[in-house]
Amino acid sequence: MAALMFTSTPSIKKAVALINKLDDGKFRLVLSRIMQRLHLKDERTFSEEEEEKLQQTLGIDGPELELVLQTLEFLLQQAAYHAAKPAVLSQQLTQLELEQAKVEAIVSVWTTNGRDVLQKLRQQTLHPSQLEDINWRLNLQIAQSSVSKQKLPNAMFELGVRDSEEGVGKKKIRVEFTHSELYQFYNQLEMIQKQLDGLS
Amino acid sequence: MTMSIIQVTGTGKSFANDRTPFYGVRVPTEIKTMIKPLSKLDKNIFRKILVLIVTAIEGKEVEYKQLKELESKDFSEEVLSIIYSGLLKLLQNALRVPLESLKQELFKEDLHELQIPEDFQTDLASVVFGNRRSTIDRVSILSRPRLPQIDCLKWRVDVGISTSVLNRVLEPTVLMEMTLSDGNIHTFEVPVSKFHELRYNVAFVLKEMEDLEQRNVLKIKD
Repeated sequence: MAALMFTSTPSIKKAVALINKLDDGKFRLVLSRIMQRLHLKDERTFSEEEEEKLQQTLGIDGPELELVLQTLEFLLQQAAYHAAKPAVLSQQLTQLELEQAKVEAIVSVWTTNGRDVLQKLRQQTLHPSQLEDINWRLNLQIAQSSVSKQKLPNAMFELGVRDSEEGVGKKKIRVEFTHSELYQFYNQLEMIQKQLDGLS
Repeated sequence: MTMSIIQVTGTGKSFANDRTPFYGVRVPTEIKTMIKPLSKLDKNIFRKILVLIVTAIEGKEVEYKQLKELESKDFSEEVLSIIYSGLLKLLQNALRVPLESLKQELFKEDLHELQIPEDFQTDLASVVFGNRRSTIDRVSILSRPRLPQIDCLKWRVDVGISTSVLNRVLEPTVLMEMTLSDGNIHTFEVPVSKFHELRYNVAFVLKEMEDLEQRNVLKIKD
């Protein structure tokens, strides 16, 4: 038995009533946009200008639009949280007394984009620093101040780490390796890989 | 009838081939300055100074007072300093050249040209060609300028179970804590896709390095 994703609260009832009256075509467009931006945490789905226009095109006022958008976002977020199967989603949306055309629209947009959104949400992390760039350079040292006529290979790696904290930007970690040092590093990466292999 | 006369003047030096001496084209100032005082130096003091120089070259600490202790009525600390600097410069120049490129006989020839006493030539040659040489070479390479290296790599593989937005995640992430030789510690997360990229690149560079070591022996001339 699938988890119950929605309960019919008073505000949901109110939202459903408003949603049912919306034009189908425009409803689909609004849904699409919400779906696209579902994985973005702190950003508005529609800009203030866009919300003003939406009030016009949908024929509802400010607070009503607010309720409609919040409810639709909530419905989709819950579907994502539970990784809902389309059939289950369809059934539970119908139980909320949404009309058939609207239910179909929501299920359709979920079926098309659901996988993508889940992928993006899975990769979301709380850790502030992420490895983003990997660059390297292979050199051959031919001399230094105390020794001439050498042939000493060395590699330099530059790891770009993005810090999500404001104003810190990208940190560049520069490391140097001789052949044996690089081999040691490689062995450690192999150990990590074994762990990852063990998970699948 | 015309006759051309070409006058050839010798330099007054030995007829040795025109190879460059181990110290370069010109005799370094420090070496030039020390030749005269060196000729009067007692063998014991010479050996003691040499010991200090070799200690310094091997990367260990040498205190000025150790040189000052050798002062006598014949040799002031100034003169000792001149000799120390000259010998140090001489040895540094000789040690720069790889062993394969400098023959002992030619080294002694160059010392002879510099008017270094025969006695001292043997001692100097034993520093350059003797069994301390491998330690000296090792110290030289270790002291080269370098970017930071990874001193310690700690890592962790986590699997996210659930988050505030997803009931089931089951996505692995790699966490790395890199302690570098400059003391900095960098902690960051590596998404699995980036980890594969890192591993691929490291393997690639390793292969390139191996290829380089195989073929560079042929290309670079001595």
